[in-house]
Amino acid sequence: MNHTLSILLQNEAGALVRVAGLFAARGYNIDTLTVAATLDPAVSRLTLSLQCDDVALTQILQQTRKLVDVLQVAHPATALAA
Amino acid sequence: MNAQPLKTELDTQRHALAGQPMSGADVIVQVFADEGVEVLFGYSGGAILPVYDAVFRYNALHLKDNGDESMPLIVPANEQGAGFMAAGYARASGKVGVAVVTSGPGATNMVTPVRDSMADSIPLVVICGQVASSSIGSDAFQEAPISNIMGACAKHVFLVTDAGQLEATLRTAFTLARSGRPGPVVVDVPKDVQNTALSFHGNGELALAGYRARLHAVEQAALSDADCAAFFAALMQAKRPLIYAGGGVIAADAATPLRVFVETFALPVTTTLMGLGAFDTTDPLALHMLGMHGTAYANYAVEDCDFVFALGARFDDRVAGMPDKFAPRAKFIAQLDIDPAEIGKVKPVHWHHVGPMTRALERLTAYGRAHGLCPSLDAWHTHVADLKRVHAMNYDRDHTLIQPYAVLQAINRHTDGRAIISTGVGQHQMWAAQYFDFRAPRHWLTSGSMGTMGFGLPAAIGAQFAHRDKLVIDVDGDASIRMNIGEMETVTTYALPIKVVVLNNVGDGMVRQWQKLFFKGRFAASDKSLHKKDFVLAAQADGFAWAQRLERPDELEATIAAFLAFDGPAFLEVMIDPDAGVYPMVGPGASYAQMITGDFIASRNAPSTQETTASGMF
Ligand SMILES: Cc1ncc(C[n+]2csc(CCOP(=O)(O)OP(=O)(O)O)c2C)c(N)n1
Ligand SMILES: [Mg+2]
Repeated sequence: MNHTLSILLQNEAGALVRVAGLFAARGYNIDTLTVAATLDPAVSRLTLSLQCDDVALTQILQQTRKLVDVLQVAHPATALAA
Repeated sequence: MNAQPLKTELDTQRHALAGQPMSGADVIVQVFADEGVEVLFGYSGGAILPVYDAVFRYNALHLKDNGDESMPLIVPANEQGAGFMAAGYARASGKVGVAVVTSGPGATNMVTPVRDSMADSIPLVVICGQVASSSIGSDAFQEAPISNIMGACAKHVFLVTDAGQLEATLRTAFTLARSGRPGPVVVDVPKDVQNTALSFHGNGELALAGYRARLHAVEQAALSDADCAAFFAALMQAKRPLIYAGGGVIAADAATPLRVFVETFALPVTTTLMGLGAFDTTDPLALHMLGMHGTAYANYAVEDCDFVFALGARFDDRVAGMPDKFAPRAKFIAQLDIDPAEIGKVKPVHWHHVGPMTRALERLTAYGRAHGLCPSLDAWHTHVADLKRVHAMNYDRDHTLIQPYAVLQAINRHTDGRAIISTGVGQHQMWAAQYFDFRAPRHWLTSGSMGTMGFGLPAAIGAQFAHRDKLVIDVDGDASIRMNIGEMETVTTYALPIKVVVLNNVGDGMVRQWQKLFFKGRFAASDKSLHKKDFVLAAQADGFAWAQRLERPDELEATIAAFLAFDGPAFLEVMIDPDAGVYPMVGPGASYAQMITGDFIASRNAPSTQETTASGMF
C-alpha cells in the first residue's frame, strides 16, 4: 500500500542523510521525497511516500521516531482514519 | 548547528570554571571531567592532537593523592581495541565509556565497536578528530565522512561546525548515550574547533526538542491499575508462566526489582545471551540461557510455557528464529521495554508497557501483593526442576582429548559466578555462556548482536579499568584472539592482572560446526592446522610472565588453579578436542521442539532427520 509520511526535522548537519539512510538500511524504497522550509528556519518538513504493508509501516514510523533530529513523524492517513 | 543551548534550571549552581577562557580542546576535557570520566581509551594522530595535549595538561594538574592521573589515556594497538575497551568499561561499570581517536583511519577503525555497541545498547561517547572545517569536503589528508559513516551505525552523531556549540554538544552526547535505550554517540570535531579560543560556560545542553519530548513521555510512563489488573488476570490463569529476560534488564539496572518480583510470584526465569547475570543463574528458578544454543531445559520450558513475560528482550533471530513457533503454547505474551519500536516488532504481544523497567516491576510487584495475587505454580516448579535434571548440560567426560566444557567448569569452580568474563565469538563464546554461572549483572561481556570476533581481549582490558580489584578473564578462541592480538601487549603495558584463556581448536570452530551441518564438511577457510603461531611464545614476547599451554586432561585442574592464582597477567592456551560441538542447537529454520541436543544431553525427541544428515555426511 502507498503511504505518505510527514516528518519535521531539525536542520542539523546530516539530518536528511540519516532519515534517508534509515529507510535504505531497513529496506524501504522511498518513492517520492520533498524537503521544504518551515516558518522556523531551524526546522524543515520532509514529505515522503513509500510502498509497504501496515506492519512495516508501524515499524518504520517507530524507527524514524528514534532518530534524534526528528521532531515529529506523522502519517496523515492513519491520523485521518483514527 | 541551529539548535539552541538549553537553559539549565539551576543557574545558581555556577560552575567553578564558568567564564574561564579555554580552547575547544580544553572544553572537551573539562566536560569529560564534569561527566565523571575516569579513563579514556584512544590513539593519537594529527587531527586530535590538541585534545591529547589538553588531556596531558589536565592530568599534570590533577594528580590524585596516590600520584595517579585522574583521567589516564589508555593507548591500544588499534583504535578498534580502544572502542572495545571503552565498551568493556561501559558494560562492566554501567557508566559511559569514552574513546578519543583521530580523523580518517582512526575514526574508521572505530566503526566496528560503535556498531557493536549500538547493536547491544551500550553507552559510549566517541570523539573523533576531523580535518579543519575549511578543508571538509576537499579530500584532505586523513579526511573521512564520519558523520555519514557513523550516522548509519551510532545512536547519534554530531559534526561540530560551530565552536560555540561544542560544549553544549559534548554534554548532550553524554545525555544521549545514557538516556532511554543507551547507545554510542559520536562527536566529530574539526581541528580548528579544538583550537578555537572559547569561554567555558559550565552548563547547558542542546535542546533536541523531539528526542527529549519522546524521552520524557517514556520516562514518565506508569502502569495504571487497569494495566496491572490485565497483567494479573492473565498471570492468575496461567499454569506455566515464564520470564524471558534480556539485556534491557541489565541496562536498566533492574536486576534487584526482577529478583523481588520472582521472590514474590515465583516465575522461572530464562535469560538471553545479553541477559546473563540479570538473574542469578544458580537460583533454583533460573533456567540459564534460551535460544539457538540455549540449555535444553530452558528451551523445553519455552515450548511448554503458557505465559511469557519478556523483559528488555527483543525476540531476536537467535532466540525466536521462527517467531510463529516461539513459545507455541503461550496464550499470553507480556512485554516490557524502554524502546517503543521493540513492542511487537517480531512477535505480536497481548500486553505491553513502554517505560522504565524498575518502576514497572516494582509497580507490578506492589499491585500483586496488595491484591493478594500469587499464582500457584507447584506443578510447574516440579516440571521445571525435572527439565533441569533430565536435560542437564553434559558432555563426553571420558574423552581422551580435553573437552572445552571441562575447562570452563574447572574455572567456574574457582570463580563461582563472581568473575568478570569476556569472550570472543564462536563456539568458545557459547560454551562460556552455557557453562559459567553469573550471580550478578555486568559480569558477562560478550558481543551479542554483532557477534564481533576480537571483542574479548580489549573488552577485558576496559573492564579491568572499571574494576581494578576484580578477577577479569577473557575466554577467547584461537581465531577471535588473533583479530586484536595486538592488545596482548596492552595488557602487560598497563600491568593488568587479566587472565586470558584461549580454547584452541585449531580454527574457526563455529564455522566448521556449520560446515559440518550444512556444507557436507567442506572446511573452506576455517582450518588453521597449517598456521605457525605459537601463542605461548607470542604471549611471552608481549611480556606475560605466566604463559602456558595445556595439552593433557590430567593436568587440567592443577594448571587452571595455578593460572588463576597467578598475581599478574596470565595466558593459558588449552588444546581442546577440535571436534567438540556446541549443543544444544536449534538450527536455522527449526523450532525449539526440533532442537538437536547431541549425544550427551537428553532429548525429548527421537533423533531428528537433520541430525542424521549431519553425522552421516562424511
Ligand atoms: C569479525 C568477524 N569475522 C567473522 C565472523 C564469523 N565467525 C563467527 S564464529 C567464527 C569462528 C571463530 O573462531 P574462534 O575464535 O577460534 O572460535 P571457536 O568457534 O573456534 O571457538 C567466525 C569466523 C565473526 N563473527 N566476526
Ligand atoms: Mg577456534
